[in-house]
Amino acid sequence: MSAKLPKAQQLSSANWFGKASAGVIAGFMLTLAICGLLAHFGPLDVGYFSAQSQISMWLMSPVWGLIMSFCFLFRNGVHAWAWLGSGNAVLWGLLLGSQYLVGQGG
Amino acid sequence: MKIRSDIVRMYRDIHSWVGIVCGLALFIAFYAGAITMFEAPLKRWASPPMHVTEHTPLERTPELVEKVLMEYPKAALNYDITLAPDLERPARMSWNSGPRGSGTTYYAELAQDGSLLVHSEGPSAVGQLVDDLHRQIGILVDHDIAMPIMGIISFLYFIALVSGVIVLLPTLVKDLFILRIGKNLKRMWLDFHNALGLFSLPFHIIMALTAVVFAFHDQFYDAQGALLAKNDRIAMEEHAELHRNQVPLNPQQIVARLKEQSPDFEPVYINYHYEEDHGVEMRVAGSNPRYGMRGATFGFAGVDAYTGDLTMTGYMPGEQDGWFATVTSFFALHFGNFGGNPVRWAYFLLGLAGAVLFYTGNLLWIETHRKKRRKGYEYLDVQQTRASKILGALTVGISLGCIAGISSTIAAAKVLPQWTDAVGAWHTGIYYAVFFLFSAWAFIRGAARGAVELLCASAIATLLIPLVSLFSAFLPGFGWNHGGSSYLIDIVAVIGAGSLALLARKTLQRIHRAPEYSIWYVGTDESAQSAGATEPETDAVNVASSPT
Repeated sequence: MSAKLPKAQQLSSANWFGKASAGVIAGFMLTLAICGLLAHFGPLDVGYFSAQSQISMWLMSPVWGLIMSFCFLFRNGVHAWAWLGSGNAVLWGLLLGSQYLVGQGG
Repeated sequence: MKIRSDIVRMYRDIHSWVGIVCGLALFIAFYAGAITMFEAPLKRWASPPMHVTEHTPLERTPELVEKVLMEYPKAALNYDITLAPDLERPARMSWNSGPRGSGTTYYAELAQDGSLLVHSEGPSAVGQLVDDLHRQIGILVDHDIAMPIMGIISFLYFIALVSGVIVLLPTLVKDLFILRIGKNLKRMWLDFHNALGLFSLPFHIIMALTAVVFAFHDQFYDAQGALLAKNDRIAMEEHAELHRNQVPLNPQQIVARLKEQSPDFEPVYINYHYEEDHGVEMRVAGSNPRYGMRGATFGFAGVDAYTGDLTMTGYMPGEQDGWFATVTSFFALHFGNFGGNPVRWAYFLLGLAGAVLFYTGNLLWIETHRKKRRKGYEYLDVQQTRASKILGALTVGISLGCIAGISSTIAAAKVLPQWTDAVGAWHTGIYYAVFFLFSAWAFIRGAARGAVELLCASAIATLLIPLVSLFSAFLPGFGWNHGGSSYLIDIVAVIGAGSLALLARKTLQRIHRAPEYSIWYVGTDESAQSAGATEPETDAVNVASSPT
């Protein structure tokens, strides 16, 4: 697609694939982690068909959509993957760590 | 608001590419969706008169059920008792022969002498067709294939909304209340596109986000269940206690018990569902005019079949807790089933406006595409590319094909039952025949000529709707008219046909005045290339690319 565009504009939207793939894959995992944290520490729930777990499921759409929309603000695909990836590491670490600790305590 | 110009430029690229991918599919979804706002009157308009007009009295329902279950024992697994049969639910008792409503729906009544009358002539299939076109963006393949496509389109649509707003933000204050009607037609279309998009933005955000969930809820649940679920939970679903050797309450008693517990709930039908391990499960569908609903036209109450106690109020309008009311609001905001007819009309108009938004978006893409190619080569006369011509033809053919296809298949509703038994297949066939014919025509004739001719044809197709009603009124034995709100369909169709005819007239004027480089220009390609005339609208070149 970028071949037809003048050079000045290629700089900004030309490297879309790396950013978009980060938004789709890492963004999806990040969204899951956010929903998981809200279920674990917040009022929501996951896993069975209560209103709270339905809201967790609904939350996927706006959170993922926003990550996907703004992932293009990263300088390039590598940056996008690095930032969203480390975001994943932190949130999933928090989630799995707290589950492990709570599991130990309980 | 100041945003770095390279960011604006990047998001403009994203907006146009994402928009071009999903624009035409969204046109179909929005046009058909706007029509589904009047699904009830449309079904009434399109449905043949009821097969049996004398309905079984409500108090004789147990006798009816007993006789049906003797002859059709499988119906016991899942059947409905309609409290006030009408054209949409034309009999006291109904059931479907296949799993999840995939088989034939049968309708049963008791005759005067107590014998059983069973038939399978339900409401017109055309209402369901329009709904399917809406939900599957016009791709009537298997549900499991169409839904992910619809979900991806909706997701892209959300990105298009965010990027469109970012592009508009720097000039928002300056541009918002301006519609520059003048020589620069691209500027006018852009102003129109912006104003339409921004003022209906909340509606569009709701539609995009809810449609993503409608497409992907299974995948979202599965992902959350696999990666996040806590295993120590027990299933919460409540079941009525097992009442062996007890007789379920009859429908009148159920209605009376509901009235006690939720006076404003208006029950429409009772669904009986047999589960091996806990007997008869009952769900009562109905509405409450003061609340939005989980389904498109109904909410549901879980009721104990033996005591009439409410067992599940999570989806029952008016009886939900805050959490369930929140979940229901997502559905209600998509379906527009709150606030009665004013909201339905507002959603109808917003839906049509959405369709126009995507149409103008495509036209802007064509024009911007040409101007971008022209940059740096201003001394040359840049013509429309092949891509632009294809997109122009696609935009005209698909949009008008969808409009005319829906109009003609609706008009056929009053004719088909006299000619064929396979009414549903014919409705689908007519829609696609018109749709593909229009698309092909637009390619053969080009966007400009094609638009004029297809607009005229669409106007005629839409005018067929009131015409078959008119014939039904005067020709004995032809069609039917039910009166009441179904005349709304005829009136809206007349207005629609008039608007299409007006557009045809305007487009005809336009194609004869259009400059040579325009997608609307009707001159031959050879003369356009040899003319080499300088472009009259030079000031228009920088309009789109300068944000200040």
